[in-house]
Amino acid sequence: MNSGPAVDSKLVKLIEDCLRKPVYFRDIIDATKEHRYRAVLLAWSEVRMRHQLERDELGRFWCSAL
Amino acid sequence: MATTQSNRQEDFRGMLSRMEREGQLRRVTRPVHPRHISALCNQAPTALLCEKVEGYDTPVAGGIFWTRSRTASALGWPEGELGTRFAKAAARPLAPVTVSDAPCQDVVTTGDDVDLTTLPIPFMHEKDGGPYISAGVAFAEDSEFGLNAGCYRMMFRTRREMAIDLFTASDLRRFYARTYERNQPLPVAVAIGVHAYEHMAAAFKAPAGVNEMEIAGGLRGEPAQLVRAKTVDIPVPAHAEIVLEGELLPNGWTADEGPFGEFAGMQGDLKHNPLFRVNAITHRKNPIFYALQMPWENDWLNGPATEAACMRVLGMAGIQVTAVRATEGGCCGWSVIASIKKRAGEGKNALTALLTLPVVKQAIVTDDDINIYDPNEVEWAITFRCQADKDIVILSGMKGKHVDPSVRPWDLKPGELPTTSKFGIDATIPEGIPAFRYERIVPAFKDEVRLEDYL
Repeated sequence: MNSGPAVDSKLVKLIEDCLRKPVYFRDIIDATKEHRYRAVLLAWSEVRMRHQLERDELGRFWCSAL
Repeated sequence: MATTQSNRQEDFRGMLSRMEREGQLRRVTRPVHPRHISALCNQAPTALLCEKVEGYDTPVAGGIFWTRSRTASALGWPEGELGTRFAKAAARPLAPVTVSDAPCQDVVTTGDDVDLTTLPIPFMHEKDGGPYISAGVAFAEDSEFGLNAGCYRMMFRTRREMAIDLFTASDLRRFYARTYERNQPLPVAVAIGVHAYEHMAAAFKAPAGVNEMEIAGGLRGEPAQLVRAKTVDIPVPAHAEIVLEGELLPNGWTADEGPFGEFAGMQGDLKHNPLFRVNAITHRKNPIFYALQMPWENDWLNGPATEAACMRVLGMAGIQVTAVRATEGGCCGWSVIASIKKRAGEGKNALTALLTLPVVKQAIVTDDDINIYDPNEVEWAITFRCQADKDIVILSGMKGKHVDPSVRPWDLKPGELPTTSKFGIDATIPEGIPAFRYERIVPAFKDEVRLEDYL
């Protein structure tokens, strides 16, 4: 299995921008599809550690603190 | 459990190779993005082994238990004997053995080096709350009930944490509730990529205190081989492809988890569940990740046990059963068909017995001249052997399932269990009608010719 790359701060910012309104996780994947999947998961991990994400009953994510 | 050196028994990758030889698995050699794995598995006529997953050097398998025939291939059993074989195996459990040297620990990563993003955890369904490990078999031990193995989905959250679905009643939920009350973590190990015998045994809802790995031994016909995990004192399948070791944190049911494409074929709800913190990842050299595809793989893992349960209750009712089929449309549990050697009144007795099983919601009973694997034959029997006002049994107020929208679970108070109505169709020849009235058409001299000699 591949060893760990660093978290891509631009990708973190891109995901944070997505989370200014309610989005499905699918939308995060779609918005970041030009990036490597693993880099997206690393950035998502970073976002979840930095922020308390909110969820609506449809399962969408957003972050009102952003 | 005895301790022994590891000797070779068919493992996950051996099962995949055999399925490939039997035409039940194909290799995908072109690169596949992790977000496309489920879509490809859904379209495939066989199980898939995606050899090149973009950004990873770990292949991903999926669709192994998607159909009855693939399930039979994985188990190495005839298609028509899934229920009978499962029943025999469950009646003859074999204690597992502990080995001292295991392939699943060829490579060990611990502590801060642990990173779940090293695994090609796929994003599977449009409305899922994240990438999911869908094929995890979780192992935990309790001082009273001993070792338990069960199947639990886990949503990727951070490099070290997954949210694990412990929403419904289960042995692991029971174990966790005990440690949660003491504000302590529960050590857990999760195996990914285990053989069908171990996976199906873990999916089996065995009574608390029954070690599912003994059932796995019964299914395999030889003891399952386990090894102690590296950082938690829990045995795991020695030949698993990947093992996650860690603990369920005492956060209770607080972490957002889901939605996820559920076993009933519908997108589930957002839930709140415990967190699984991963402290070690061990794996074989060149591991294969397994992405179990919903809903049919989840359903077929339970299908043989459902068929075995049907045979058991029919036997207890004194009915001579010739075949039982859990149907895919009923998620291999909610809808069953049984053929019987009927004596007067036993069509209704059989239906009543089948409908007492908690999950079975609809049942059809036919005579033993009907091939219940042929939907046309079953429909023919319903059409000509059934009078709706006499032969349809409806039972009301029985135990239901939250996952069934028709019971309107959203109207229930917290902790309130749903009830459901159930129905059965007695498609056996009605009492008083002689069998010759149903004499089938037989082509003249059919045994004298073969079509292939004329084409």
